[in-house]
Amino acid sequence: MIATVTRQEVEDFLFREAALLDEWRLDEWLGLFEPGATYEVPTTDRPDEDPRRSQYYVWDDYELLAARVRRLKSKHAHAENPHSRTRRLVTNVRVGTPGGGTVPVYAAFLIYKIRDGNVDQFVGRYEHTLAVGGEGLLFRKRRAVLELEVLRPGGRLSFIL
Amino acid sequence: MSQTTTAPRVKVANRRSPFIHEDWDARTFRVNREAFRSEEVFAKERRLIWDRQWLYLGHETEVRRPGDFKQRTLAGRPLIFARDSNNVVRAYLNSCPHRGTILCRETEGNAKTFQCFYHAWTFANTGELVGIPDPAAYPPERGFAAEMGLREPPRFANYRGFVFVSFAANGPSLREHLGEARDYIDLMVDHSERGLEVIPGTHMYAIRGNWKLAVENAMDGYHFSPTHVTFVEYLKTTGYVTSDEGGRVITLENGHSVLVFSGHGGRVGMQWEPRFGEAQRLLVEENVRKLAARVGEERAKRIAGTSRILYVFPNLLLFDIEGLAARQLEPVRPDFTDVRAWELAPATESPEERELRIRILGSFIGPGGLATPDDVEAYECVQRGVVATAGDQRPEVDWSDISRGMAREAEGQPARNVDEAGIRGFWRHWDDQIGGGAA
Repeated sequence: MIATVTRQEVEDFLFREAALLDEWRLDEWLGLFEPGATYEVPTTDRPDEDPRRSQYYVWDDYELLAARVRRLKSKHAHAENPHSRTRRLVTNVRVGTPGGGTVPVYAAFLIYKIRDGNVDQFVGRYEHTLAVGGEGLLFRKRRAVLELEVLRPGGRLSFIL
Repeated sequence: MSQTTTAPRVKVANRRSPFIHEDWDARTFRVNREAFRSEEVFAKERRLIWDRQWLYLGHETEVRRPGDFKQRTLAGRPLIFARDSNNVVRAYLNSCPHRGTILCRETEGNAKTFQCFYHAWTFANTGELVGIPDPAAYPPERGFAAEMGLREPPRFANYRGFVFVSFAANGPSLREHLGEARDYIDLMVDHSERGLEVIPGTHMYAIRGNWKLAVENAMDGYHFSPTHVTFVEYLKTTGYVTSDEGGRVITLENGHSVLVFSGHGGRVGMQWEPRFGEAQRLLVEENVRKLAARVGEERAKRIAGTSRILYVFPNLLLFDIEGLAARQLEPVRPDFTDVRAWELAPATESPEERELRIRILGSFIGPGGLATPDDVEAYECVQRGVVATAGDQRPEVDWSDISRGMAREAEGQPARNVDEAGIRGFWRHWDDQIGGGAA
C-alpha cells in the first residue's frame, strides 16, 4: 500500500503540533509520537553527522523524550519554570515521497522564545519522518536543525525546538 | 606523586582585599559582587589573567589531518588552530600581518595555504609568507617576507593532547602551571592506551552571566540536589540511585580544583548502571580488568571507580563523569560568556560503546541536556540578582557568601564536595592575580 499524504494534511499536523508546544500541552504533544520514535537536534557545526558518532544537542529515544516531558512538567525544571513564552512560525512545508509507511517532511521554522526580558530567536529547518497510519500522522523521527552558527544569545534548548 | 590525600591543604589565613573577605575567626568567606558586574574588573581580568595565563585552546584531535584548521577565539583574540602540512599542531593569530584583516574566514576546513582576500598575501599553513602580489614594490632583502609571517601567540604547549596557548612571552611552563591538575588529566587520558579523541559536534552557546559563575557552579556539589532534582528523578526511573556520600573537593595549586564523586552516575566503559543495558555489564567488567592489567589495580580503581570534575584555571573544565567532556569559557563582557564544549572518548573504544557514551552523556550535559539548562538558569539568575545590592554600603550586604564547610576545614576535616572549599580556592587565586592579596 502506498499511502498518499497531502501537504494540507502535513501542515495541519505541524500547525497543531506548534500550537500544542506554544501552549505547553506536553502530554498531548508526546501523543504525536509513535512508541520508539526519536527527537534530535544536531550541533550547529555538524548538522549532517550521524548521532551515533557525533555529539548532538538532543538525541532522545522515546524513553528519554518521555523523561524530558516529565521533567518539563515539573516545577523543578528551573530553566523553564516559569515557562518561556514561545511562538513558532512553521512554513515552507514540503512533502517528500512516501514509502514503507512513512513520509519525509521538510519545513522551515522560526521560534521566538520570550523570557526574563529577552526575546531569543531560533531559526532552522525540520527534517521529520512521519509514520502514516490509520489514525493519521505520527512522528517516527522529529529532527530540528538550527541554522544558527552558535546558540547565541539564548544558550539553552530547555524548551522543545 | 600521590594526590589522593583529602586533608585540607589550604593555609588558614585571613584575607581582607577589595574583593575577598576571608575570616577564620568568624568562619566566613565573602566575595564582593562587583567581581561579577564591573567593567573595570573585567578589563583588569583581561590584562592580569587572560593575557598572562595559559589558556586552553583545544584538543589536538580536533585538527586530525595535516592541513586541518579551525577558527577559535580566546581572550577576545581571533585565532587559527591548525595542523600544518608537516603534521605540527599550531596556533596563529587570525589576523593578516599586513594590515590586520581577518585572514581565515572559514570556520573550519583543510588548506595548505591561507590567503588574505584584501591584498592577496598568501601564507603557508606553516606560517611563512609565500606570496605577495608585485613583490618588487617591497625592499628586496629577504628579511621583509621573513618578518611578515603569520603571528603566533607567544607561547604554545601541548599536555597529552590538550593544547594551550599563552599571550605572555614569559611565565611558568604549562607543566608548572598545571601542577597537581596533571594527575587528574592523566586519569582521564589513561582511559585508553591510545589516549583520547574528540567526538565531532561542538556545543557552542552563550550564557548571560559572568564567566566566574560557571566556575563556581562546576566546583559546587552543593547545588546538585536542589538544582538537578528533575535529572535525579529521571535517573531513579532508570533504576539508578545517586548518592553524594563520600564525595570530596580538593583545592589544587594555581587556582585549580577538583570535585570527586563516588555516586554521580554510571561511567561508560568503566562503571555499569542499568541504563547501559545487560550486554554492557560484562563488557565493562572486561574493560576494567584490561585496564588493571595495563595500569595496575590501584590506579585502575581510581580511573574507573570515581567521577571527577576538574577545573583548570582560568578557562577549562574537564568532566570525567558518565562520559568525558571539555568545556571552554570565553568571557565576552562582565555579564556575558561564550561556552564551547566537546565530548571526548577513548580512542580505542567500540562503535557500540561510542554510541552509548554519546547517548548517556547527552542526557545530562549541554544546552539540550536534562541538567545543564538548569545550571545556566542559575548563572543567569545570579547575574540578574547581584544587581540588587550594587552600591549598598552596609557591611557584607553586597557580598556573596562562600563559607560552607569552613568550620569542618578549620577542624582539619577533609572538604566534602557539597562544601564550598573548591570555590574558595578559585577566588583566592583569582584575588592574587587581580592584586587583592592577603591582609
